[in-house]
Amino acid sequence: MDLIASLTVNGLATGMLIFLLAAGLTLIFGLMSVLNFAHGGLFIWGAYTGVWIYYVTNSFLLAIIVAIITGLVLGLITERLIIKPVYGNHIQQILITLGFMLVLQELIKVVFGPDVKAVSPPAWLEGSFQLGDVTLIKYRLFIIVIGFLLFFTIYLILKKTRIGLIVRAGVMNREMVQTLGINIRFVFMAVFMVGAALAALSGVLHAPYSGVIYAEMGLEFSILAFIVVVIGGMGSFTGSLFAAILVGLAQAFMAYYVPALSLAVNMLIMTVVLIFRPQGLFKVKG
Amino acid sequence: MSGVIVRSMSKSNLIYLGVAAILLILPFILTGRSIQFMITQIFIFAIFAMSYDLLLGYTGIISFGHAMFFGIGSYTTAIFMDRFDASFGALLIAILVAVLFAAIVSFIVGILTLRLKSHFYAMLTLAFAGLFLVAAEKWRTLTKGNDGFTFKVPEFLRDSTTIYIVSLVCLVLIFFGLRRMTQSPFGRVLVAIRENEERTVSLGYKVLHYKVMVSVVSGVVASFAGVLYMLSLRFVNTSVFHTDVTIDVLLMTIIGGVGTLVGPILGAALIELAHHWISGLADVHWIFERWIILYGTVYILVVIFFPLGIVGTIRSKLSGGSKRKSPSKKKAG
Repeated sequence: MDLIASLTVNGLATGMLIFLLAAGLTLIFGLMSVLNFAHGGLFIWGAYTGVWIYYVTNSFLLAIIVAIITGLVLGLITERLIIKPVYGNHIQQILITLGFMLVLQELIKVVFGPDVKAVSPPAWLEGSFQLGDVTLIKYRLFIIVIGFLLFFTIYLILKKTRIGLIVRAGVMNREMVQTLGINIRFVFMAVFMVGAALAALSGVLHAPYSGVIYAEMGLEFSILAFIVVVIGGMGSFTGSLFAAILVGLAQAFMAYYVPALSLAVNMLIMTVVLIFRPQGLFKVKG
Repeated sequence: MSGVIVRSMSKSNLIYLGVAAILLILPFILTGRSIQFMITQIFIFAIFAMSYDLLLGYTGIISFGHAMFFGIGSYTTAIFMDRFDASFGALLIAILVAVLFAAIVSFIVGILTLRLKSHFYAMLTLAFAGLFLVAAEKWRTLTKGNDGFTFKVPEFLRDSTTIYIVSLVCLVLIFFGLRRMTQSPFGRVLVAIRENEERTVSLGYKVLHYKVMVSVVSGVVASFAGVLYMLSLRFVNTSVFHTDVTIDVLLMTIIGGVGTLVGPILGAALIELAHHWISGLADVHWIFERWIILYGTVYILVVIFFPLGIVGTIRSKLSGGSKRKSPSKKKAG
């Protein structure tokens, strides 16, 4: 019981972190059909700048804020310098974002050094709750709570506000939105920045969770996010949450029972989805 | 008209054969082992880059996991040479297994994703390559993990001049083979898919068959390049599966010129020389150890400003700056 509960919490926490990364990817894709291969780079930049601030000030909240700002700024830079020049050309977009990913990854090594850095959760999130015979690690619960909060916030923004309406309409038909006098390029930039901020947030939250950060983890983790985006349906926000939880749980349980196959199991889920439901589990609706 | 084409083609064939002949004599002039080794590397990566060009340049398919096929060829050869005696027979079996394995993997990846939008192939290949990298790191009994291992190759291939000539001959054969293929009706359909997939479908071509077929050919050639790489290096570790390898081959193809086959060869030479030069500079300043930054930046700039590559740009200048668009231009979706 204890084992299953802790694996579930573990899986949910991983799932939430992947979700934060995948949410930006899927919205950006839905809106502009750009698949941002540099997303993992934003993730590690969030992690490293956050952890750096955390080292210096010892305040985890401040670390989160700095990571989010890093994400917003990098998102803006990526959109303006990398995506915009090749706007409308798919192949070039895909090629260029991967190049930027590697540049971001190597720049991390230049700025922060190439070695693995250890990170532990802040004091107020350390330790665990005891619930009967089940031990719940505080930090993991914290991630899960943050993840769900963000999901519902974004969900409400998408469903209930005018901005959300524009974004959803843009996902369905961006030409039409443009015809109605809305600057879709501006909307895209904003969504891109928010997506980048979510990726950076995911990075800084991931740091104390995994205990270490290193430059290559951006690419590794973004592969999981890609898998999630495929499973959930490209462009589907809700789909990415469910798929992320699915992948997180599968990852957690396999890592315990058959560690060698923990990446393979997600590939397997993706393969099955691609064969039987290539549009993803959730179809993109408004 | 067709006479002109035949004559101009045989003229270009003559040039290529002439260059090949010069390269064939070269090792007897440049007898240094390290220089021969470096040129051999160029040949091998040229083969690898041509296989990539089939996908990106001719068909408009992006793969982010091409290192996977290179790695499959490399590890198959290394494991066979290590486990069995380093005889010629074992090598032949290794080549056969490497090629078959690569064919099966590329077939599976292709059949899964090539009917979908181009992102899927890029993503799935990236993910698959990641899987192979993890497998190579974790399956220590077979691969000896991250550290890799050295192995022996058949006696007659140990001489650096021999492996140079073998690689050159393979390069020439594969170059003409692939050129024949791209100029055949099959190759024309590939280009049609690149230019306008919907139209090709409505013309009645089974686009998926063509795409899967070209991805299998590409995977097989890449795997073979991996085999040659191992024969020249005689050491394997997990770095053959790294994204760096894919980015290298991307850069070679794009800088040289997509959709040209000659371009990737030129690109391979440039990138290999740049590697050599930059690794020499690592003693000068530590920033050169982070050469991927430089490469990545060059790569981004090339994609934005120079999408035709060297050979592509020269060709479009020669044809009078005609209305030929970027070959990587493709309709969204």
